[in-house]
Amino acid sequence: MSDHLILRIVGKFLIPYILLFGLYVQFHGDFGPGGGFQAGVIFASAFVIHTLLFGLESAERIAPQWVLKIVAASGVLIYALVGVAAMLMGGNYLDYDFLAADPIAGQHIGIILVEFGVGLTVASVMMLLFFTFAGRGEAS
Amino acid sequence: MTANTALLLTLVVPLLGAVLIALAGRWPNLRETVTMVTALTLFGLVIRVLMGLNAGEEIGVELVTLFSGVPIAFNTEPLSILFAMIASGLWIVTSIYAIGYMRGTNEKQQTRFYVCFAIALFGAMGVAFSANLLTLFIFYEVLTISTYPLVTHKGDDKAKAGGRTYLGILMTTSIVFLLPAIIWTYAAAGTLDFVPGGILEGHLAAGSATLLLMLFLFGVAKAAVMPVHRWLPAAMVAPTPVSALLHAVAVVKAGVFTLIKVVIYIFGTDYLAEVPYEQFAVYIAGFTVVAASCIALRQTNIKRLLAYSTIGQLSYIIMATMALAPFSEIGAAIHIAAHAFGKITLFFTAGAIYVASKKTEITQLNGIGWRMPYTMTAFAIGALSMIGVPPTAGFVSKWFIIAGAFQLDNYFVLVVLILSTALNAAYFLPIIFNAFFKPEDVTPVKDHAEAPTNMVIALSVTATLTLLFFFFNGPVLDLETQIVGGMP
Amino acid sequence: MLAHLPVLVILAPLLGAPVASLLRGPNWPWLLATLLSWFALLCSVLLLIQVNAQGTFIYTMGGWEAPWGIEYRIDFANALLLVLITGLASVVLPYARLSVEHEIGADRCPLFYTALLLLILGLCGITVTGDAFNVFVFLEVSSLATYTLIAMGKDRRALTASFSYLIMGTIGATFYLIGVGFLYVMTGTLNMADLAERLPAISDSSTVRTAFAFIVTGICLKLALFPLHLWLPNAYTYSPSAVTAFLGATATKVAVYVLIRFVFTIFGVEFSFGAEPLAEVLVPLAIIGLLSASTVSIMQPNIKRMLAYSSVAQIGYIVLGLAMGTAMGLTASLLHVFNHGLMKGALFMVMGAVAYRMGGTSIDDMRGLAKTMPLTFWAFVLGGLSLIGVPLTVGFVSKWHLILAALELGWWPVVVAILAGSMLAVVYVGRVVEAGFFGEPKDATKREAPWGLLVPLWVLVIANIWFGIDTRLTVDIAEAAAAQLMAGGVVR
Repeated sequence: MSDHLILRIVGKFLIPYILLFGLYVQFHGDFGPGGGFQAGVIFASAFVIHTLLFGLESAERIAPQWVLKIVAASGVLIYALVGVAAMLMGGNYLDYDFLAADPIAGQHIGIILVEFGVGLTVASVMMLLFFTFAGRGEAS
Repeated sequence: MTANTALLLTLVVPLLGAVLIALAGRWPNLRETVTMVTALTLFGLVIRVLMGLNAGEEIGVELVTLFSGVPIAFNTEPLSILFAMIASGLWIVTSIYAIGYMRGTNEKQQTRFYVCFAIALFGAMGVAFSANLLTLFIFYEVLTISTYPLVTHKGDDKAKAGGRTYLGILMTTSIVFLLPAIIWTYAAAGTLDFVPGGILEGHLAAGSATLLLMLFLFGVAKAAVMPVHRWLPAAMVAPTPVSALLHAVAVVKAGVFTLIKVVIYIFGTDYLAEVPYEQFAVYIAGFTVVAASCIALRQTNIKRLLAYSTIGQLSYIIMATMALAPFSEIGAAIHIAAHAFGKITLFFTAGAIYVASKKTEITQLNGIGWRMPYTMTAFAIGALSMIGVPPTAGFVSKWFIIAGAFQLDNYFVLVVLILSTALNAAYFLPIIFNAFFKPEDVTPVKDHAEAPTNMVIALSVTATLTLLFFFFNGPVLDLETQIVGGMP
Repeated sequence: MLAHLPVLVILAPLLGAPVASLLRGPNWPWLLATLLSWFALLCSVLLLIQVNAQGTFIYTMGGWEAPWGIEYRIDFANALLLVLITGLASVVLPYARLSVEHEIGADRCPLFYTALLLLILGLCGITVTGDAFNVFVFLEVSSLATYTLIAMGKDRRALTASFSYLIMGTIGATFYLIGVGFLYVMTGTLNMADLAERLPAISDSSTVRTAFAFIVTGICLKLALFPLHLWLPNAYTYSPSAVTAFLGATATKVAVYVLIRFVFTIFGVEFSFGAEPLAEVLVPLAIIGLLSASTVSIMQPNIKRMLAYSSVAQIGYIVLGLAMGTAMGLTASLLHVFNHGLMKGALFMVMGAVAYRMGGTSIDDMRGLAKTMPLTFWAFVLGGLSLIGVPLTVGFVSKWHLILAALELGWWPVVVAILAGSMLAVVYVGRVVEAGFFGEPKDATKREAPWGLLVPLWVLVIANIWFGIDTRLTVDIAEAAAAQLMAGGVVR
């Protein structure tokens, strides 16, 4: 897409805002529409645009596949470990009440952490999927 | 040791023996010694159980409970101790014979042979001493499976085909007829224990009882009633010691033993007498006797002739059992012993002839009586026992069966017995005559005399037993009359 | 800790899967997966003991009470299934070390074990949960993991097999979801216990009856009931040996469990067998399945494929038992679920060992095996005897109960069909046994399979014989489970 100067400049300008919006959606999930799944996809879409505009190599320099794999795994682990933490604090698995002295605060903490994990995993998996398919196209 | 311990050991010893034989495989003499020691020990243990039974000891062992109300359990009564004694006693003789035969023909895979033999005896002991139908069924199948490698011993295409028929018929009948019969019995009576007088009284509709009887009759294919008899001639591809085992020591005896147990201890003779169309079982068995004798008449291969002779003799036992007369029940039980002695002798001689001269057809036996006097004399004795001529064992059992036929005015049984005696004479006597009174018309391939010594000893022993049984059958008689509750 | 047992069983693979994806090399992921499966087995056994001692175990996720929250409910039926799944995982995983590396290659092993752990997660999750939608979630987790695992097979046809299973499996899961959706519309709840309480009142409505039809159909596709079994032969034949061993022993059984749970606990016996013609539909299909699949397996040159068709037949037996609608039938069905897992697990592991040494699993590879690979071959013989139903093996125990159950109902044709199936089993097992004993070995220089494969294999074979003789554990639990299920509704 090196000929399409307009697209590249506009894209470069937009990508940070997309990422910012993704973060907003992520962390406002417990007050309004949002949460990890949506935020992850939005986050990934920024990288998709970058890839379309600047090529796969550039995108992969920023977010190499091995990093994405680690992030994906970490997201799931965060989710699972929050539940374990709840167990260790005395409640059932994923019982956020026990994560802080005040049950309401505990619920907040629990949801935010869990959704964060989800966001991480969704974003990195989406990116991995895209990179895999994009990579196949270029290789053949 | 107590009788119970001895009873358990009768199961452990052959199994242990099989393991030891396998381990001793590389040293033939040691291996053969293990077989002999195991066989002798087993016989000793069975005698101990017999003594316990005669002394009135409480004998009964329960192992695991497989299903509710049905344990794997063992006990003993006159019929089972008779079978056990024949099996274990004849194992000793067969082992002596087998050593001679296997070495004489230089058979391969001898270790596998002796190991499977021991496991087959384990199966036979289990069948003999089982206290309920389920235990009997388990060991019945053990017997089938452990004899398959023996039947297919030679490993060539004929052996494979024979093995296929053997296993196919035995497994199919046991799964399709015998197993549902057993489960049906359990569903009806709530138990499978062998009880004098039977367990089915009052639990079954009349027509159902007939069907159940037929399921048992054809399910126990080891008793070789027609048309499930084809496995017997097919199994003749096996080496002769295996045929001896099959026909005399274990397999067919397990078959008729099972049927007698079912008649006396599951149905009960009184109940069975009231089951409609029960006589059909007698007719089927009687037909088998005559048909088998006719087919035997047309056989030229010695072992096939003996196979069909066995089918006929087994149906004597079944016919006598199903006739439900006290004397015929006793006759059936005794015939298990009598036929065993006679048939094993005949098979031993067939094998001896083969080892010595490579001959397998009765047409080749002219004049062989003078080259192999011991062998052919034994053959004559065995044949006379099959026909039922005194002073052989066969006469004693035939006497009782005929007496039983008279007890209930069963003319069908009488006619069958007379007809078959004539037929047996028709196919056995010419062989004896030709062996001794016709000159050799073809010079044999190699100049041979008697068979190897081991084999001659074995067949002489069994021939002698056949004769002795005629004179000394008292104890056996006393024992077996107990199954009908005293002399009627 | 004991209070959290149901979750611990899930937690082990859940934590293990992401970690495994990060590990390198063939051995670390394997070690992790093996240790976690042993841990899960320990938890399952403890759970079973607890259920036996104290009755149904209820665990609320996240502290939210049912019916708003998701609860895990363990009674005898799913405790037994859980032990089966984790037990088989514990045996197949040590076996997998050599087999998987040989068939897939060392560099893909981390992904393999990740997928396997996710599969175990999914299967265990389906078993423990007490929420109908949660079942769907775990069902999809296990299915996706399965598609991945099947596609890893050496043969290129593994890809198409996986794809066709993907399509069919998704259709099945979708049907299930539609059915659950209808139930949710009618009752407003997804909790199984709550559904069981609310459904009797509205069971006349056509929505509920439609829901029943969709759910049963969807699950029957997953459990490979004839004629919805078309995905199974290819999937089992072309996937890696360890996968087939584990899958063949557990995946369809878990689907059977779901069916049992819906038919007996949620919808109840009166509705399922009275208002709905469940028996009339399932029994003929089961019988046709068991007879036709047994017949087809006789003619297969590839032994793995033969065993796959045999599995379809055995599933016919299982469905036959539960379709009887009696306690005895249900006992027989649950027994065979467990026993068949033992049998097929052992047999497929044998085929994996054969593939390891001989490079293939056709009948030509099996020739003369009695001489070249005796331990492997004898394991096949014993597993085969169990399949036929020879006494002293687990197969006999299942057959006994099944025939007894059929006799209790007076269903003589069914008894004949069951026995015919056994006869056919004699033929197809006998074929392989004959080839092994009498055939000439394809390559006489091949040695016995390595100990790493033989030991787990023989553990399962011995289990076949052990549970065939000491039947107390399996029969008692199956009977208790059947009694609970027949009583219907839920024990609070």
